Amino acid sequence: MDRPKGSVLVVGGGISGVQAALDLADSGFFVHLVEKSSAIGGSMSQLDKTFPTNDCSACILSPKLVEAGRHLNINLLTLSEVLDIQGGPGHMKVRIRKNPRYVDTEKCIACGTCAEKCPKKVPNEFDLGLGTRKAIYLRYPQAVPLKYAIDPEACIYLNKPGRCGFCKKVCPSGAINFDDRPEEMTLEVGSVILALGFRPYDPSALDFTGYKNFKNVVTSMEFERLLSPSGPCMGHMERPSDKSEPQRIAWLQCVGSRDINRACHGYCSSVCCMYAIKQAVIAKEHSKSGNLQSSIFFMDMRTHGKGFEAYYDRAREEGIRFKRARVHTVLPAKDDNLVLRYSNEAGELIDEEFDLVVLSVGLETDPEVIRLCHDLDIELDQDNFVATSPFSPVATSKPGIFVCGAISEPKDIPQSVMEASAAACGAGGMLHEARWTQTKKKEFPPERNVYSEPPRIGVFVCSCGINIASVVDVNEVTEYARKLPGVVFAQNNLFTCSQDTINQMAETIKKERLNRVVVASCTPRTHEPLFQETLREAGINKFLFEMANIRDQDSWVHQKWPEKATEKAKDLVRMAVAKVRGDEPLPYNHVPVTKKALVIGAGVAGMVSALSLAEQGFPVCLVERKEILGGHARKFYRTWHGRVMKEYLEELIKRVESNPNIDLELGTTIEDVSGSVGRFKTTLSNGKNVEHGVAIVAVGAESFKPRSGPWNYLYGKNPNVHTLLELDQRFIKDDEGLKGLKQAAFIHCVGSRVPERPYCSRVCCTHAIDQALKLKELNPDMDIFMLYRDIRTYGKREHLYQEAREKGIVFIRYDLEHLPEVWDDDGKIVIEVEDQIIGKRVRLHPELLVLASAVRPRDDVGELSKLFKCAMTEEGFLLEAHMKLRPVDFATDGVYLAGLCHYPKPVEETIAQAQAAASRAAMVLSRDSVPAESITAEVNPMKCTGCAVCTKVCAYHAVVMDGKTGKAVVDTGMCKGCGACVAACRSDAITLKNLGNEQIMAAVEAAMESW
Amino acid sequence: MEKAMGENWEPKIIAFLCNWCSYAGADLAGVSRYQYPPSIRIVRVPCSGRVSPNLILDALRSGADGVLVSGCHPGDCHYISGNLYARRRFALLERFLEFIGIEPGRVNFSWVSASEGEQFAEVVQEVTERVRKLGPAKKLVKEITICPR
Amino acid sequence: MSTVNEKIAGQIQQIATQLLESKEVALFLGYTQGTVPGAMQPFVARDVEDAKRLSWSSFCVVNLANYLPGLLRSLEPPRRPNEPPPEGPLPKVGVVATGCWSRNMVVQIQENQIDRERVVIVGVPSRGMVDRRKLQESVGQREITSIQEDDNSLLIRGNGFEKVINRWDVIRDNCQTCVHPDPVIYDRLVGSLSGDRNIPDRFRQVEEIEALSVEERWNWFQEEISSCIRCYACRNVCPLCYCPTCFVDDSRPQWVGKSKEQVDTALFHIVRAYHCAGRCTDCGSCESVCPMGIKMRLFTRKLQKDCLELFDFEPGLDPDIPLPLTTYSTSDPEDFILTQIRKGDEK
Repeated sequence: MDRPKGSVLVVGGGISGVQAALDLADSGFFVHLVEKSSAIGGSMSQLDKTFPTNDCSACILSPKLVEAGRHLNINLLTLSEVLDIQGGPGHMKVRIRKNPRYVDTEKCIACGTCAEKCPKKVPNEFDLGLGTRKAIYLRYPQAVPLKYAIDPEACIYLNKPGRCGFCKKVCPSGAINFDDRPEEMTLEVGSVILALGFRPYDPSALDFTGYKNFKNVVTSMEFERLLSPSGPCMGHMERPSDKSEPQRIAWLQCVGSRDINRACHGYCSSVCCMYAIKQAVIAKEHSKSGNLQSSIFFMDMRTHGKGFEAYYDRAREEGIRFKRARVHTVLPAKDDNLVLRYSNEAGELIDEEFDLVVLSVGLETDPEVIRLCHDLDIELDQDNFVATSPFSPVATSKPGIFVCGAISEPKDIPQSVMEASAAACGAGGMLHEARWTQTKKKEFPPERNVYSEPPRIGVFVCSCGINIASVVDVNEVTEYARKLPGVVFAQNNLFTCSQDTINQMAETIKKERLNRVVVASCTPRTHEPLFQETLREAGINKFLFEMANIRDQDSWVHQKWPEKATEKAKDLVRMAVAKVRGDEPLPYNHVPVTKKALVIGAGVAGMVSALSLAEQGFPVCLVERKEILGGHARKFYRTWHGRVMKEYLEELIKRVESNPNIDLELGTTIEDVSGSVGRFKTTLSNGKNVEHGVAIVAVGAESFKPRSGPWNYLYGKNPNVHTLLELDQRFIKDDEGLKGLKQAAFIHCVGSRVPERPYCSRVCCTHAIDQALKLKELNPDMDIFMLYRDIRTYGKREHLYQEAREKGIVFIRYDLEHLPEVWDDDGKIVIEVEDQIIGKRVRLHPELLVLASAVRPRDDVGELSKLFKCAMTEEGFLLEAHMKLRPVDFATDGVYLAGLCHYPKPVEETIAQAQAAASRAAMVLSRDSVPAESITAEVNPMKCTGCAVCTKVCAYHAVVMDGKTGKAVVDTGMCKGCGACVAACRSDAITLKNLGNEQIMAAVEAAMESW
Repeated sequence: MEKAMGENWEPKIIAFLCNWCSYAGADLAGVSRYQYPPSIRIVRVPCSGRVSPNLILDALRSGADGVLVSGCHPGDCHYISGNLYARRRFALLERFLEFIGIEPGRVNFSWVSASEGEQFAEVVQEVTERVRKLGPAKKLVKEITICPR
Repeated sequence: MSTVNEKIAGQIQQIATQLLESKEVALFLGYTQGTVPGAMQPFVARDVEDAKRLSWSSFCVVNLANYLPGLLRSLEPPRRPNEPPPEGPLPKVGVVATGCWSRNMVVQIQENQIDRERVVIVGVPSRGMVDRRKLQESVGQREITSIQEDDNSLLIRGNGFEKVINRWDVIRDNCQTCVHPDPVIYDRLVGSLSGDRNIPDRFRQVEEIEALSVEERWNWFQEEISSCIRCYACRNVCPLCYCPTCFVDDSRPQWVGKSKEQVDTALFHIVRAYHCAGRCTDCGSCESVCPMGIKMRLFTRKLQKDCLELFDFEPGLDPDIPLPLTTYSTSDPEDFILTQIRKGDEK
């Protein structure tokens, strides 16, 4: 067999596709990223804020998109679709159709003149039709690629050639190409990742919601756009009928989810409870009156993720109303208001008026995706999601094809991102022999030493077509620049970023022996890398460069004041020249990598991580504090899919024990850790020292045992009271005694969602219901009672809940004010609980009482987190670098986490996270060195007092006190160049390279000179 | 150093903007063509946490009529916590400068995210109006800068 | 009957003698009588003989913490910048500390300027120190030739006059408004702790300035610093000013001009005060040593008041509580942030 192809096709440019592409491209594979629309970003780009941190969605997403867009080893194919995939793992042929954009991306400068002049308005699908866009459009302001596209259905010219064509006439760079045609291409790749996401459920068919009949009934996705500052009402939250600000908003949960009768979707969409709470909270913030009343109508509140329950608690404190009721009908009322008719818990029919109704619509698979999966012969489940196994959560039925994100089950962003990395691990693992075989690498000539030269500054002033030139007098600016001290060359260009100008700039640098360059054009955020690369191509260090932003921050925002804009442009150029004069060549820092991983904890998470890396050829040291492998999974009977744990676990252990790349250190703990990414040194309790480039923390959690206190419920006192895992033990042992039981009861939330442990343990509802079903299997006549607070069988687990009810398992809801009472009556268990629905006290006499007790963090996690300088949550779980987009990374580079030490989760999520951690670790281990920041802090020991204020404000622990000298020192490998230390230092003893106080002062002074 | 006070007087305001949020917000204001007065001169810094009180004082000393420091909203900092340290520094500085008689409005702080283009334009508008009302800065201005005109 | 201060002086001598004799400390830092009537000067006792010269009175106005880092360093063997510190324990220094001085030492410990293990702190609950200017004013411009202290009064004599004044009337402002007169950390205690004082209007002087209009405040500030001769005595006496190169002396970058121009003087005072933010314990040394009588304590006092109001922080009370500018809280006040003000206005 030939060596596999070293490239991967990722289909879908949403957050999971982008993440998978970045992981793969950064670990030695070439990636083709196919996206159907004109820009990547997917559903996340449409969101306003994200739960539970209320981060601005576009702000946190944008940098990832830009990174993917610029990546040398990611081939971005927008407006493209997969037609066919042939072949198997390592050797696949993919046929792709690339639809015409009618805009040359090489030429388009995204100035927007075309859209301004385009006469054709159509509903904007990005705003779900709530706003309009032109026939030539940018999908959204931060779109990647930042290039316009023509909508062929709406374009007047394309439909009636000869008419219109305004865009072509006004385009300053000649980018419009009406002759663009679809292209078909065949790509050869080693593996495919499908990240095709979901589509929001369309509630038009649900008459009772009034959607489409009443203007002020919107879906949650539409409401997301109404909240967004870049949405149709600029974030002012106006209701569609009259643009007034709603004062009473209702959210209806489970629209198109958990509904087999009307919507044919039996599953739970997992994310709607949280996004509804988030929207309610954000809407309140947006409300100008401050009296917005937000009501959420729900069945079970499913806040089962990390930080979610606290978010729910806070929302209640902030006055969001939570009403447990399913709404029968939405009726019209006067002034376009709406009346919700629902029955309260006492069964009375209630009518309540609202100004706006938001339907919390579920997630479903797009029919086109279903069709594609059929064509590709990929198995789907009963809900039309891609079928996966709990033990290989990102693999499809088709070898070589992986999935991630909501295509396999409704899920939130962090889970999708985690799976994206896991899928990258799957694909990368399969193709590891071909790593770096198809990637590109940019080569640059050696750099000229400019230290001894006086500044020879070149200034390139861009007209940007007419974007700058129509407001700013660019000739005047160019002439002005020529006279500035140190400037030896100045030139005006029509498009400085065009390929020919770039080539000419490189020539000019060489010819004029320039040693500093200023480009006065657009924003450095998009164009600095391009120009810096040009400097390198011309043989000078890329940090001898500054930009003056005379477009985005000048000509575009001062259109009415051309003279003042010209003055400002001169100021900005003068400031850039003053700044660049002080710039020095900086090193392109790298940290060499010790190609070995340390994995701490040999439960399922640790073993999967270790194995994933070892099978890619990386040596792993796997440390386990106990003498045996397996961790908690040993006590666990089966997954909720009915897959028995023991078989999987034994196989996994065998593979770990027999893998020559894995050093097992059993009965061992971590004593000390030093170093940073690429070069850690860890001392083990057995005295051994391990040098490693990365570490994965997978130390698990513990099951809460309520031996005393309010959640005791006879635990440890009556032999027939068990925790979930204790009952599992009896299942594992085939305990015959279970068959004869007449009655069993489960109490949910034992020690979870209570003041001392305010989080939801995520796994227990499903686990308990599965156990109840197992008991029913053993004895169908057994009466089983589930005492619960909210049933949180999220995603496909909802089917289990459905089945349990069908099989006659009785669910009785209690709340914290009415806890079940349990006592021992001469060895027999008695439970009394108030049934919230019938309002009566029920007495039970179970022969078996199972406590669905909490998953709690291990007490010794704190020690470990300190050693690796990782953060912890208030509850004592380990805290990832970013709750949304970096779910397996720690803020400390090169350290990752997986499994229960992160948060309670079922085995399939643990495995996905473990694979994700391995993928992230492989990004480091696959290279000889990792790049580090060049603009770093630097200490002047002559000025340093050793007061250590810099070490305290450094979020990256990059500044430390040198024990010998008593002065601060910066670890350039860890420094991110934020400058917090510089601002904190009273003695001016620490500076930021090329961003020192003197340089900033020079720019400020230059800004003031002309007045 | 004649500073004409009148209808046409355009104050000069130094704006220290963090690269990741506020500078991006300023770009978005441009992309969206929100118009604002040509009063500000933007200095791009990695993080609002990079801005020390000294830099703010230096801007005033150099003759800036106003100063604006803008960073990411709390919780959004690209560098985890830079803006939170900055918030403490600025809280003390702002009160202190007022205490010694620097007019409120000379030195301003804001949080503007990468998606808040309109908000950025509004902030500049507001700061400019505040400074315009105060007139040219005289306090703490070092009067020896050589003036080309 | 000896006075309280005489008793304190006696006990300091006793403790110093014992510490020096037992070689527990190599040096003992305290006060001795100065040459001018009533003046006291910092004094380092190197042996038992020296210890006899140690004294105490209501005129110990300079914070001894200022000398501590230097004394400790003087006891270390000389070494190159990159040479490791010598093995084994280094000689210790004994030092007298009132409330504010001890709080200052806490800050110095937090900032690695002194090693707690190497100082033996002799705590003296402070009864307040005399403001020489107030004292002089009470007798007009007449020359004072002798001052005799009683527990609650001072007997002042000069050429042809004699006056008894109430001691508290001439106590420094910082001492009058001090709420923590007791030492926070100490190894030996002289006298007995008097407990925190409750002074509801401790920031009255600051509040009076705050109540003025902007222009009035500016005029006050300008007037206050107009006599400054940039002698930097205030900086030199301050235990918090220990930078090897002070920002006023630095030329790269040059934050402050070296001239006597009012703008530069203003910037000097602003930055000096700001550098003390969250660290200053209001020991009053700066004001006590200013030859021009500039009330620069008001600047640091304002920052002290704000640290308390904004961050609920007072420096020097506990070495384990981080200094306010080295930490943050997610709920720190931000009512001064423009975008937050606007959010509030819209509501």
